[in-house]
Amino acid sequence: MYFDLHCHSVSSDDSRATVEQYLKWIQVLRKRGYTVDGIVLTEHRKFDFDKDYAQLANDYGVVVLKGSELDTRFGHFLVYNVSQGLADDIDFADVRMDARELMKAAQHHGALAIPAHPGRFGIGLVEFMDKGEIFEDVKIVERLNGGGRPGENERADELCDSQGYLGTGASDAHLASHVCVCMTNFEMDISNETDLVAALLSGNFSPVRLEETSIG
Amino acid sequence: MALELEYDRSLYGKEHEAGPFEVTEDMIISFNQSISQAGPCYNNKDAAVEAGYRGIIAPPTLCTLFVRRVQLPDINLKFGKTRFHGGQRVQAKAPIVAGDSISASSHLKEVYAKTGRSGTMVFIVWETTFTNQLGEVVADVQESYAARE
Amino acid sequence: MTNDNQIYFEDVELGDEIGPLEKVASDQGVIDFCTLWGNPIPNRFTSEEEAAKAKLSGPIVPGVMSMSLMAQLITDWAGPAALKDLDVVFRQPVPHNKPLIMTGTINDSRQEDGENIIQCDVLMTGTEGERYIIGTALVSLPSRS
Repeated sequence: MYFDLHCHSVSSDDSRATVEQYLKWIQVLRKRGYTVDGIVLTEHRKFDFDKDYAQLANDYGVVVLKGSELDTRFGHFLVYNVSQGLADDIDFADVRMDARELMKAAQHHGALAIPAHPGRFGIGLVEFMDKGEIFEDVKIVERLNGGGRPGENERADELCDSQGYLGTGASDAHLASHVCVCMTNFEMDISNETDLVAALLSGNFSPVRLEETSIG
Repeated sequence: MALELEYDRSLYGKEHEAGPFEVTEDMIISFNQSISQAGPCYNNKDAAVEAGYRGIIAPPTLCTLFVRRVQLPDINLKFGKTRFHGGQRVQAKAPIVAGDSISASSHLKEVYAKTGRSGTMVFIVWETTFTNQLGEVVADVQESYAARE
Repeated sequence: MTNDNQIYFEDVELGDEIGPLEKVASDQGVIDFCTLWGNPIPNRFTSEEEAAKAKLSGPIVPGVMSMSLMAQLITDWAGPAALKDLDVVFRQPVPHNKPLIMTGTINDSRQEDGENIIQCDVLMTGTEGERYIIGTALVSLPSRS
């Protein structure tokens, strides 16, 4: 299954796309011959417990999952399978939280936190590792980010190759027409957030660009 | 530890008014020249009237020039040494025409922190409503400014 | 207020592209804009020295001016009163004297309060793919009927 694991709706301060606009755009992509199965909404510094996209997902035939992108002292982290317990333990609005504590708390609550855009200049995990920081719990990173500037995805590639990290792919879309430019190809079926974490922990996935999903 | 934002929270709920500002043909044409806007309705009165307007119309973002004139108060944010423009939204409600008088009313909408390539930033968001001499709302403008360490 | 080059609501489809429109913000254009805007000169938009103080690599185009350039993408395409809403995020400083390429992609169409509304993503990039501005625009288009 092809999933975009990182995109932002208008619930994030700097996005201008509604969820329905993403799903309408996915129909355009499908009409053009590309394969898209699902998206994960990873809103900045929050988790939308009260938002239910089940009807929209059903209407458009796209799996819609929810997650978060949290700011930490060591860059941004994507968090999947967020629960109330995790939100009680971690202040999602704290832009200076310790990423190591976040990863441990996520694991404790059955969630998974992975570094977003690790090669991003100024804020990616690579920046902090180059300064000597060690992150023992990192096994998976976002290797392919659709919003990267030239050189940033390449730095993530080097990181994965040198550290043996597994890598995901995602768009980091803030506009409807940017969704799914990069995705992750999973061998397992995914229908909810728990499945997603299981699929990531299985290690059976790879990052892909939209063009690679063309049917024709 | 969390980043505690210190600023003047008493500014919430207060409106800051300014104007009226006269929108002259010269102003519109100077604006057009600076951004190389050659559209006939923006530069030629006959063309504008033929298209159904009262006179030369202002490009839809001209009102953003007036936000600066509102002299928004300093929120006394205890963070950051430099400020830059983070984003802007203009909702055009009615055409602004040469000869109009525009009044502005602004309020503080929100203040929040985030991180990015240039480190930690605090965003300050102001909203301004512009009204013409006929009492019509001609535009709503939202501006966000980012303070950076 | 329509003309022979008018775009109609029925003519557009999701995925259609608008533009590209290429503009350049010259040094003089920025100075003229700042003068009109009332921003005292010199400043980080007009002066190398002031820009350096603000940790910029050179004087930049003011956000309000960049937004005005972006608005032309829509008004050139749909007409002077068609732009209802332009909402942008300034992602990178916009340089003087370099080509600024603006494009739009239609991602939604609907009717709201009796108006035909097109929504599009808008982007201002540089020649090396630098993403200066991203945003959305809402445009009102007439119907053929």
